[in-house]
Amino acid sequence: MNHKDTKSTKSDKQGSLSVLRVFVVNNFRYALLLPALLFALAPVYWMLTISLKTEVDQFASPPPWFVFTPTLEHYYDAFVTRAFGQYLITSAIVAVTSTGCALIIGTMAAYALARFQLPWSLNRRLSLWILSTRMFPAIVTAVPLFLMMRDVRLLNTRASLIIVYTAFNLPFVIWMMRGFFADLPRDLEEAALVDGDSRLGALVRVVLPLVAPGLAATAMFCLIISWNEFLFALVLTQTDAAMTLPVGIAGRVTQYEIKWGVMSAAASVAIVPILVFALVLQKYLVRGLSMGAVKG
Amino acid sequence: MSIEFQHVSKHFGGTCVVDDLSLEIRDGEFVVLLGPSGCGKTTTLRMLAGLESVTSGDIFIGEERINDVPTQHRDLAMVFQSYALYPHMTIAENIGYPLRVRKIEKTERAKRVNRVAAMLEIESLLERKPRQLSGGERQRVALARAIVREPRAYLMDEPLSNLDARLRVQMRGELKRLQHQLGTTTIYVTHDQAEAMTLASRVAVMRKGRLQQFDTPMNIYNHPANRFVAEFVGSPSMNFVEGKVDFDNGTFVNDSLSILLNASQLSELTGQSDLTIGIRPEHIQVLTEPHDGAIAASVYVTELMGNETFVFLSVGTNRLIARAPADFRAEVESKVWLRLAIEKAHFFDLVSGDVCYFPVRRSVP
Repeated sequence: MNHKDTKSTKSDKQGSLSVLRVFVVNNFRYALLLPALLFALAPVYWMLTISLKTEVDQFASPPPWFVFTPTLEHYYDAFVTRAFGQYLITSAIVAVTSTGCALIIGTMAAYALARFQLPWSLNRRLSLWILSTRMFPAIVTAVPLFLMMRDVRLLNTRASLIIVYTAFNLPFVIWMMRGFFADLPRDLEEAALVDGDSRLGALVRVVLPLVAPGLAATAMFCLIISWNEFLFALVLTQTDAAMTLPVGIAGRVTQYEIKWGVMSAAASVAIVPILVFALVLQKYLVRGLSMGAVKG
Repeated sequence: MSIEFQHVSKHFGGTCVVDDLSLEIRDGEFVVLLGPSGCGKTTTLRMLAGLESVTSGDIFIGEERINDVPTQHRDLAMVFQSYALYPHMTIAENIGYPLRVRKIEKTERAKRVNRVAAMLEIESLLERKPRQLSGGERQRVALARAIVREPRAYLMDEPLSNLDARLRVQMRGELKRLQHQLGTTTIYVTHDQAEAMTLASRVAVMRKGRLQQFDTPMNIYNHPANRFVAEFVGSPSMNFVEGKVDFDNGTFVNDSLSILLNASQLSELTGQSDLTIGIRPEHIQVLTEPHDGAIAASVYVTELMGNETFVFLSVGTNRLIARAPADFRAEVESKVWLRLAIEKAHFFDLVSGDVCYFPVRRSVP
């Protein structure tokens, strides 16, 4: 009797232990994710709340984490009184245009490198050379580019930023798209050619639809890089008309004061376009990011 | 439309893949390029399609020299080994693609697509995507895409090799009927000699880039130009025995067997000494009782095929295969006697492999 009792208690204990273990194992990932999520999102939350708090609340100690009277004065200040609306439009135009240019030119270059057999190992040599332009720190080219833009009178224009961003995004586009094109079986383009299509037609009608996820991922990266770019915008633009958002936001740190509210409001708005774009494209992003996008 | 290759060669870097190929294909013919992997047959097809450049020589379609004509203007249709169906388009769009790039308007396009789909019995699949189809269905779609535009010729690169055995036999018959119906010149590449024999009006056997023989299937089977062709065509393959002709005794000998030759063979072969004799399995009769003139042999193994039996034999150091009736049975290592239909034997030069003696008068194609 005793023996039986001990046995049943022991298995009971084991049973509840194993239930606990299963629960822990299954939910362990959330335990890991939660701190990481908090770590990543805390600054964003802080920024959002700062943008909605009055100046008094911003500097209060201890800070009101969740309960405070929100105000839209900083948003008004940024976009109506000051030129942040202008900066936003400039950023948008520059980012979209430079991404578009880089994608068009880069995709065609990548296709040529992936599909055409050039003499003297040019395929390999050109690819490495293109990649090498990204190997040195960007600041090295800041002064030469300033001088060049000054000489062609493109300082303080959107055009100068578009040109520079396209140049910097191009190697990235070429390198990524070349990989996607190389993964695609040649059969499909050859079938299109034999069916009577031109090379360009085959590229547009057959190849591009199949590398669309890769294209989306590449476009995403280019847009983010262009949108957030600070160094060249700082060097090449000083006027309100030509400034982009990052430069505009950083400019609120003056000799006399730091306008946290305005900065936060502008930054909060700056996040939104990229966020929307990423949400819309997230299906393609995941597929594009896992290399070997498509199997025909 | 007739097609002609004139001294066509193809080099990839230092390697010669197609060596001085000359071939004349008549309008409406079904020509098969047959050979083992790496023999240059696919490269030849791709040169004709324009997917590979020609290193030297000329290719003509009809009277037109097409070496420098880009692929899209050659008006040829190709069925690829992998079918190469466009995965992002429906079956109807796949089939209609050649018409779409020729700017044929929508209603006419739909009409032609439906007609071709009906011909190949794939109407029910028109709205699906390629990944939803089975291998056999995809193959039909690839065929449909080729025939929808009525090109000058069809090029087919091992289209049946991805199908299972039963489907392959079925599609073979359908392909043959289809080609007969449409009457368009067809060039078909394969390594399967059964496909070549059943489909072709003429077969071009290739090896290491060189043309070995270009003739009707029956002529290739009965009168192979050299040992390679003789061995490649026919399953199970021809038996080869190396040895010498002993003119004093009128026999063909090597260290383990001696075969009596007939007068016509002896007269044709005077002057030759080292030869290889080739006998097809169906020309060896296996007997369980000793007979006059029969050669003693021992059974290595038998394979029961259902409709016939393959008997693997050893005669001394020689190995032979014979075809026997379905009810033939023999134990391994048992003694049997072979009667050879010697008048059907082929003789090949030992070194070059070229044929020295044809058994039967060749029929002109």
